[in-house]
Amino acid sequence: MTLPGIPTIETDRLILRAPALADLDAYAGFLASQRATPADDPLTRHTAWLGMCADLGHWNMRGYGFWMTEEKSSGATAGMTGFFHPEGWPGAELGWTLFNGFEGRGFAIEAARRAREFAYADLGWKRLISVIAPDNARSIALAEKLGATHERDWTSPTGDKVRIYRHPDAGRL
Amino acid sequence: MPTRNIPVIETLRLVLRGPEPQDYPDFKATFSSYRSRFMGGPLNAYEAWMLYAAEIGHWNIRGFGMWMIHDKATDETYGMAGGWQPAKWPEREIAWIIWPGKGGHGYALEATHAVRRYFYEQRGWDGAVSYIDPKNLDSIRLAERLGAKKDKEAPTIDGNDAVYRHPAPHELDGTQLAHGIEMEISHYADPLFKPKGWAID
Repeated sequence: MTLPGIPTIETDRLILRAPALADLDAYAGFLASQRATPADDPLTRHTAWLGMCADLGHWNMRGYGFWMTEEKSSGATAGMTGFFHPEGWPGAELGWTLFNGFEGRGFAIEAARRAREFAYADLGWKRLISVIAPDNARSIALAEKLGATHERDWTSPTGDKVRIYRHPDAGRL
Repeated sequence: MPTRNIPVIETLRLVLRGPEPQDYPDFKATFSSYRSRFMGGPLNAYEAWMLYAAEIGHWNIRGFGMWMIHDKATDETYGMAGGWQPAKWPEREIAWIIWPGKGGHGYALEATHAVRRYFYEQRGWDGAVSYIDPKNLDSIRLAERLGAKKDKEAPTIDGNDAVYRHPAPHELDGTQLAHGIEMEISHYADPLFKPKGWAID
């Protein structure tokens, strides 16, 4: 069962490709560290599993979604980058995540820049936001490096109080 | 973007196809209603959307999943039936849901019987279970109409569900049980005789 139409794109050091079941361990491990549960915690694995299903289905529903960010040199799954726009979201979001052990090497900004370029050049979008938790200093710093500015605060459908960052419009890059 | 590669199954009155983006409003209507109380609902719009996306992605991860049940003549959707096995499910499940107001016509029976046969005959499954909330009497009745029996020894998802074990393929191969299920389905399709009992779904 292959999903149609998930393009593979690249940067110097990274490949952005479709998520696959083989990524589950990395994904569940990341989720476990976020929630401070053991990596093999059944509920965390279950949530990660359903999350991966939803990430794949997102591509069918919208025609775009999240890629797995793979490090070219090692083939390791380093994180996720892409677009998120479920019902109830304030617009198409550019999101990025690095899994444990891949921080601090500029992978997130490299992948996010490439994804934003894809959104503006290939998908023809004009505007883009990022939704970031107010205590996520690293992500906020990255958004600001990308030229995004804090537009407003928002409460997500999951009840989280978050910030909406607005990226420079397509014409301004 | 079409959900390709998902087989289409036809029955007397129904056609089962993979879940498509345009079917989402029907799914959302049910999962935001009280009808979904035994399936983790009711959900808000965000949760319903994410679950529907996961229903599609399940096909990619597992190679099987839930079909959308359509009326063969009108294409109207009536619910979903198929296989379901997220990470913490002990075994492969055969699952179904019928939209509110579409019960009582035997659609769930007809669709679920067809998907079970597909899994047994085309995919080589040697059995399956259904995890059912003990208060979900309509679904328990449907499981029993499909010949499933409560398996008190089998592991449950979280201790709050009852496990109904479906008959194995050989128990449905030309047996009285299989004939009984097909007779009930055919009576719904051509109601010369009303089926006995109090079928709901």
